[in-house]
Amino acid sequence: MALEPFKASESLSMGVELELQLVNPTDLDLSASAMDMLHLLGRSRFPGEVKPEITESMIEIATGVHTRHDALLAQLRQMRDVLAAAGDRLNVAVCGGGTHPFQRWFHQRIYSQQRFEELSALYGYLAKQFTVFGQHVHIGCGSPDEGLFLLHSLNRYLPHFIALSASSPYLQGVDTLFDSARLNSVFAFPLSGRAPFLLRWSEFEHGYFAKMEKTGVVKSMKDFYWDIRPKPEYGTIELRVCDTPLTVERAASLACYLQALCRMLLAREDAPPAEDDYLVYHYNRFQACRFGLDGAIVHPRTNHNLSLREDILATLRRLEPHAAALGSQAAIEDLYRVAAVEGNHASLLRRQYADEGGVQGVVDAALRQFRERSEA
Amino acid sequence: MPDVIVAVFNETAWPVALALAWVAGELGHRWLALPRISSYGVVGFLLGATQGGFLPVAGSGPVTALADIAFGLILFELGYRINLRWVRANPWLGVTSIVESAGCFAAVFFITRWYALPMVPALLLSALAMSTSPAAVLRVANELHSSGQVTDRSLHLSAFNCVLAVVAFKIVMGYWVLSGAGGLFQALWSSLVVLLVSAGLGALFGVAVPALLRALGGMDRSATVAFAITVVALTALTHALKFSPLLATLAFGLVARHRRVVLSQAQRNFGALGDLLTVLLFVFVAATLDWTKLASGIWLALAVIAARAAVKVAVTTLFARLGGITWRKGALTGLALTPLSVFAILLLEQSRRLGLDLNLLNEVSATVAIVLLLEVLGPVVTQRALIWAGEATQDARG
Repeated sequence: MALEPFKASESLSMGVELELQLVNPTDLDLSASAMDMLHLLGRSRFPGEVKPEITESMIEIATGVHTRHDALLAQLRQMRDVLAAAGDRLNVAVCGGGTHPFQRWFHQRIYSQQRFEELSALYGYLAKQFTVFGQHVHIGCGSPDEGLFLLHSLNRYLPHFIALSASSPYLQGVDTLFDSARLNSVFAFPLSGRAPFLLRWSEFEHGYFAKMEKTGVVKSMKDFYWDIRPKPEYGTIELRVCDTPLTVERAASLACYLQALCRMLLAREDAPPAEDDYLVYHYNRFQACRFGLDGAIVHPRTNHNLSLREDILATLRRLEPHAAALGSQAAIEDLYRVAAVEGNHASLLRRQYADEGGVQGVVDAALRQFRERSEA
Repeated sequence: MPDVIVAVFNETAWPVALALAWVAGELGHRWLALPRISSYGVVGFLLGATQGGFLPVAGSGPVTALADIAFGLILFELGYRINLRWVRANPWLGVTSIVESAGCFAAVFFITRWYALPMVPALLLSALAMSTSPAAVLRVANELHSSGQVTDRSLHLSAFNCVLAVVAFKIVMGYWVLSGAGGLFQALWSSLVVLLVSAGLGALFGVAVPALLRALGGMDRSATVAFAITVVALTALTHALKFSPLLATLAFGLVARHRRVVLSQAQRNFGALGDLLTVLLFVFVAATLDWTKLASGIWLALAVIAARAAVKVAVTTLFARLGGITWRKGALTGLALTPLSVFAILLLEQSRRLGLDLNLLNEVSATVAIVLLLEVLGPVVTQRALIWAGEATQDARG
């Protein structure tokens, strides 16, 4: 199967996918309830899309295509409310967060669907370990070359998204000391990492994808677990490094941050991307996963050490005119608060752990956060 | 036989029985994929005194007390898994429970009267038939690591129908006391007061123990032991006061849960302690049964079992879609509610010790047949229902 043609879409349109946790309200462990939830949700019209994920205790929701923050947020809230109500009828609680803090991966059940069963057969325990929860943001691109340009131009900003969204400090019952432990589960896959540095779609298609396909290692774009990957059938690039935040409000803010950033990049306000930018890429990404907003990154061009927090705040200020043009100031202000004052959701969960004593308290807090209507 | 050998024989009868039951449980599980508790029941029954086995007739010795504790732990855990907020969010669950319990009562009452059983035994048997043995459902669910709607619903419905069965049972006893020897006071005492005080005691502990744990702090590990000790104490206390340990331990679990002290996954079943006591419980219960009754009561027993299963499956299926699940999962929930025995036996045992010897086990031979058949078959049916529902994490051999 050759790579499908890149379907041009409206530039800077956006869509959000959230992988969510299904939790048993009794012991607060994950609950293998995707099948039951999907059945119930399938009986009435869902305000968006809802899909199974690799294990039975995960569910994925996706918004439609949006251009504005308010409309995106409204849809996310609607989907959240419908999910919560369905969960109430089935004694299943729903929440965000990049990892479940104490689930045992070997207790997870693979969702019975051909693709998931194949993945499980190929990847063994990695498939069950992959019971982690991410937010994916799609940004529409007018042309495939625009997509590749954005994909590589974003390399320097990738740690921002990791640090701002990080909500997975706990894994298998312990504090990992990472703000985003989830990404470590992703890095275990052989086709994870970054896309090859190609800026023309024709080169990507014939010079890379076709060769990879011939090796037999991949069949479609789906087999790549890159941090950002092109999604030709939607005509988008897809950012995949974010943990699912604890609230849909934060999810909307993150999407709008990416949208504004892409607007700035398309205005060519940054120097064009270069292969050497990737020299510091993995190091910076590690810093963001490990230390969150307190990370220290290296600027790929100046080789200066930067505080990740300062870099984010400076970028948010640069984006103000773009946010104003897109109508997403509220989202940018929300993230400004996160970086400057409140801290990310990983730090919120750590405070809960200290206050309530234990990983169960962490899940309890995540459940409450998800349902509460917070301002953003 | 020399005295010393007799003494050794008597002293070791129970440990040997437990060992045999455990081995049978493991082999049955491995070779036939049977739930372990079914094998425990078979061994217990074969070793019972009336079958010529070597187990002494159960009195009110330490083994009986241990069996009560074992059941108390299971009821506590069940209560702990009940989410009352769910019933508020999904009223169809409550409706299902009431209709299936009442339906079972009515169907069994009709059949037993048709078989010309006297009024009081007919009423009591009907009350018993309402209940699903939570011990069997919980053990099988835990053995399969199952989770999903059939698992959750059968656990909740089992807890509710047990409470309804105890209430119905006590009311019938009140009626019996009133119509027989006792006066109004004794009638009320043996029904309403016992119910309320038992549940109240459990609730009291349910508030006090989590509060104590909170005050002590660091309750991650110690909670399980504290809960186990409380169950032991509560069982002893309700016995001494002649109240209902069943209701008390269930209420304890229910209230403790809503006071939000979380029992972690590893503590399910109360670990190895719970496993050990479960062997004892299921052997003990089956050893009280007399096979001679089996043969004579078999037809009525089969009729009752069939009617009970039909009502449960019909009702859970009927309300399935309204409750938010598929017809299929609804039907499987009803099937999963088949087990009965342990709950029924202990309820009868405990009533007997209250001095109200109704002799249902002796006089109504069908009871024995029902209990025995369901002791072995009930867990198998539940196990199959959970597997067919796709809710088991491991297959039955896992």
